Amino acid sequence: MADLDFSAHRQAVHLTDEDIARHKRFVGLEAADLPRIAAVRPIVMERVDELTTMFFDFLRGLDVATPLFRRGDLLDEAKRMKREHLIAMVGGVYDRAYVELQLELGLLYSKVGLDTRVFPGAFYHLMNTVGAIVMANAGDDPQKAFQNFMAVKKIGFLDIGLMIDIMAAEREQTISIQQEAIRELSTPVLQIRDGLLILPIIGTLDSFRAKQLTDSLLRAIRANRAKMVVMDITGVAAVDSRVANHLIQTVAASRLMGATVIVTGLSGDVAQALVSLGVDLGTLNTVGDLQGGLELAERRLGYRIARQADSSLETA
Amino acid sequence: MGIPILKLGHVLIASIQDALTDNDLIQLRDDLSSQVGWSRATGVIIDVSALDVMDSFATRTLRGIADITKLRGAKTVIVGIQPDVAFAMIQLGLDLDGVTTGLDLDEGLAAIGRGDRGDAGHG
Amino acid sequence: MPVMGDDGITVTIANESDIVTARQMGRALSEQVGFQGSDLTIIATAISEIARNIVTYAQRGEIVLRPVTANSRRGVVVVARDDGPGIPDIARAMQDGYSTGKTLGLGLPGARRLMDEFEIQSEVGVGTIVTMRKWLRR
Ligand SMILES: Nc1ncnc2c1ncn2[C@@H]1O[C@H](COP(=O)(O)OP(=O)(O)O)[C@@H](O)[C@H]1O
Ligand SMILES: [Mg+2]
Repeated sequence: MADLDFSAHRQAVHLTDEDIARHKRFVGLEAADLPRIAAVRPIVMERVDELTTMFFDFLRGLDVATPLFRRGDLLDEAKRMKREHLIAMVGGVYDRAYVELQLELGLLYSKVGLDTRVFPGAFYHLMNTVGAIVMANAGDDPQKAFQNFMAVKKIGFLDIGLMIDIMAAEREQTISIQQEAIRELSTPVLQIRDGLLILPIIGTLDSFRAKQLTDSLLRAIRANRAKMVVMDITGVAAVDSRVANHLIQTVAASRLMGATVIVTGLSGDVAQALVSLGVDLGTLNTVGDLQGGLELAERRLGYRIARQADSSLETA
Repeated sequence: MGIPILKLGHVLIASIQDALTDNDLIQLRDDLSSQVGWSRATGVIIDVSALDVMDSFATRTLRGIADITKLRGAKTVIVGIQPDVAFAMIQLGLDLDGVTTGLDLDEGLAAIGRGDRGDAGHG
Repeated sequence: MPVMGDDGITVTIANESDIVTARQMGRALSEQVGFQGSDLTIIATAISEIARNIVTYAQRGEIVLRPVTANSRRGVVVVARDDGPGIPDIARAMQDGYSTGKTLGLGLPGARRLMDEFEIQSEVGVGTIVTMRKWLRR
């Protein structure tokens, strides 16, 4: 999985203003928190380098985090961004720019393949340290210091929420890109002669895949100037009325482009079942097996076939 | 703006240049039906490759053209439906059953030369 | 002329050339939102059908095109409004092949198939509002 580089296809993970507002609501961040955070700011600023180092020391101790420490260049980048992030955390402004910074950091982590699960732990550790520092500097009002720290903690949770969103979206994207690649591989449209394409369909045919398959077939018809297509459905897992209707649509769309589709591999039993379900197979050109379908297609294209065609192929 | 109709031997060729308004299409239908009459054309090719969409109105009108020209002894071939357009037409529920279709102008001319029947794109 | 505002693009529909404008604007907006390939044609086709219904049955109305975001999904919304005669039997109007205009009767049901979401509100003597959405696959 890690060997495939899909980064070129990747779109930026998108978090909207609504998403940001929702995250703030989740952690109960309110206006009253801002002066409290401001009070903590000088304390954190004074120790920002120390806190950054500590955060990465904590990560270093976890073996799931080793991918990050193997990449010297990215590690420095991550440290720089983390430092910037710590400053922003107590900066009092939690807008898009703040989220962008998180996003960048999140992308960097996911680029090295860091496990999402290390973050809550690392964050918890960081927050504890910040808490200890704040309380140590509480002076004569520990109650107030505690309140201030709780406000900062909300930002900590806001960050975790955002980070999880980002990484989940990233992962989802990776999965969908990979699925797409697999799908494409599994529906090859092959030209076997001038003007003749063969489309062997294998596996399950849901409506998304049917759409994709039709799309690539139509493009192939144009690119190859195909006039006949043999669509072999022997390998389709379960041909029910939904699948059949998808196939009928694919055939109809091909026809609009001037190509005739011959469907092969539809067994008599299945055909009968479909008809009894009310599927109109009348518009389909069907031939029992792939070989027969190819021979019929070649004949229609005007190719002469050496072997004498057997009469059962005339059913189309 | 009307759609120019060219004559090539016994074939009339109308190439739609741009996104069409309904009036343009109606105009095309009327122009073609009169020209088929006096030019004694045996075939009509409508090239729709520049069309951005084929909605139910356009489809119905093109079918109408095929019917009218047939009554006047000419066969109509619609060529150049783009993959995206074909895909959207099918999802909408449209078809051109009974009308010959082809990939492009060459295919259209070949279909008229062969005298293809209208129920399959080819053969 | 289409009007662009904070609330998206509004295209007044009063004659058949406005149908072309509406679907072209819809395609352009969808492209900006990130739609590609056949989805652009699908959205434009649905807009064409709904805009034509306004011209045919209500004479005038408007189409508003907007980008939308919900649950971090992006998409486009198309709202078609008119104060024409309204539709007495919406369920029938939504059936394939039903037409009071002797046309194919595929506009409303077809647009519903083309888009991801489709709502229609209509009241006789008041008018019709069709709202359709298409979402980007993430
Ligand atoms: N905006 C509208 N105002 C009034 N009636 C409408 C409107 N849109 C659709 N209708 C009604 O719904 C029917 C079905 O519409 P549609 O599916 O587009 O098919 P068609 O336009 O071919 O009739 C129309 O025949 C008409 O009676
Ligand atoms: Mg209509």
